[in-house]
Amino acid sequence: MSGRLALNAFVALVVAFLVLPIVAIVPAAFSAQSFIRLPPETWSVRWWSAFFNDASWRITLFASLRVALLTTVIAVIFGTAAAMGIARSTPRGQALLTGLFLGPVVTPAIVLAVALYSLARATGLVSTVTALVVAHTMLALPFVVLNVGVSLAALDRRLPMAAAGLGAHDLHVFRTVTLPLIMPGVVGGAVFAFVTSFDEVVLSIFLAGPTVKTLPVRIWEEIRVEYTPVVAVGATLMLALALCAAAMSRLVGRK
Amino acid sequence: MSAVEFAGISKSFGDVRALHPTDLEIRSGEFLTLLGPSGSGKTTLLNICAGYLAPSSGRLIVGGRDVTRLPPRLRNMGMVFQNYALFPHMTVAQNVGYGLAVRHVSKGEIGKRVEEALKMTRLDGYGERSIRELSGGQQQRVALARAIVIQPDILLMDEPLGALDRQLRKEVQLEIRRLHTARPRTTIYVTHDQEEALVMSDRIAVMRAGRIVQVGTGVELYERSVDTFIARFVGESNLLPGTVVSSADGRARLAVQGFPMPLEGRAGDGLRVGEKASALLRPEAIHPHAGGLAARVVERVYLGELVAVRLMLSNGHELWSRRLAGEWSGSDTVEVGWDASAISILPNASFDP
Repeated sequence: MSGRLALNAFVALVVAFLVLPIVAIVPAAFSAQSFIRLPPETWSVRWWSAFFNDASWRITLFASLRVALLTTVIAVIFGTAAAMGIARSTPRGQALLTGLFLGPVVTPAIVLAVALYSLARATGLVSTVTALVVAHTMLALPFVVLNVGVSLAALDRRLPMAAAGLGAHDLHVFRTVTLPLIMPGVVGGAVFAFVTSFDEVVLSIFLAGPTVKTLPVRIWEEIRVEYTPVVAVGATLMLALALCAAAMSRLVGRK
Repeated sequence: MSAVEFAGISKSFGDVRALHPTDLEIRSGEFLTLLGPSGSGKTTLLNICAGYLAPSSGRLIVGGRDVTRLPPRLRNMGMVFQNYALFPHMTVAQNVGYGLAVRHVSKGEIGKRVEEALKMTRLDGYGERSIRELSGGQQQRVALARAIVIQPDILLMDEPLGALDRQLRKEVQLEIRRLHTARPRTTIYVTHDQEEALVMSDRIAVMRAGRIVQVGTGVELYERSVDTFIARFVGESNLLPGTVVSSADGRARLAVQGFPMPLEGRAGDGLRVGEKASALLRPEAIHPHAGGLAARVVERVYLGELVAVRLMLSNGHELWSRRLAGEWSGSDTVEVGWDASAISILPNASFDP
């Protein structure tokens, strides 16, 4: 009995350790003071209006959303295509290709960042949406490939065969049979892709610049200058978006 | 003209020969069954016909047209898969109408033809159900409706009754037979169940180890089996091993240990004097016969109006007889005979799986 109690207490501690630092940022965003202190002594939404009244914050928020959405679309299209190609190849090919696609996840971010920065400089793409989207897509692609791959593995191979036998050409088979059945994997991959891009910071610091900057990069720059609750507002916004995305994937996954 | 012609069709997977070069013609409107144990190549042959597998050699002619390189979608064949492969995210009506929608048939026409197909398979009123709500037998009928609603040139079925229980299987067998008789459609049916093959088929092609061993009607296969494999696979059989003494003009004689005279009968294919072979005696040909061979009844199995008895002959051989129940009643010590015309001398199959 006491062992059970001890276990529960330990689990509670672990959860607190994982969650509290993240949750703690939320009250900080509603502080009335000019500095971050927990818990805040007085409450207000002044930092929220400061955030949205400052064009530089607004612009970075929309830049982040734009980059994340573009990344999601591209990663989902190419990742799904890649997963289908992998599913069709030989077992050895599957192992090889999956390893290849997982490369960017296991490569240290700083290594990727340096490599991509030199490439972006050489092509004149530093501080462009293009560079950020390309970099983020590299990181997001594996999540789509993996998620869709899992759905494809569970798909009865004879269903697309049956559709083709009934006269449907490949694209129609994909649209009417394969895609609806792997949709949970596609949506799951899309959510991961979105979140990956939205909170990516290492590559973005290298590739962002005066003309385009994402929200995490702006937060990073801000706290090096001054540590005001407006940073907490940005962080809370990111947290809310990530939670929405996760909730969406759960909803689709349950269908 | 034959509806389907396999000309030298073969298939290898790497070094493995799944199908040796095979020739087979199927007549228009014919119900042909590919019968064989698993691994015999019957599903490979079916998948080549449907276009899901490309043959390693040979040509496939359908309706006088070479379709060897045609993709499945252009072949206009209706396939009923093992476990049905119904689209789980669509209703019954959407499943059945899929092939019509693909052909850009008008909505109204699709509705009409789906309705007809559902009626034909006794599924009227089930159109809006989801696939998951249906029983195995109903799913089987949806799969059949989906395949025939497109009015295929060829209907292909891959062990479509494998997942059903015995009682249901018998009902559906007769239903498929009834549908076929009402509107004959060239059909290739794959099964490993000999009874199913005998009930439904116009002709049966028995396969073993990637080859067609014999093609014929059920009666032909039963009465004129070419070797011991066919004899065992189609119907019940007694096989007595021996050595060929003579073979000429379709007749052969086989020396069997314990019998004073060689057994004489119809000769199977490719018998050679001096080689090992077997004498086939069907159980229904063996009957009580005063003055015949002395034997003892070792076992009696009642099968309703029939009885199967295991007989131990005085010369040490064992035979099964299957006759009307009254014939073997009485004493366990009996005298046994058979019609001279009931014996076939058959080459031993290269291996009996």
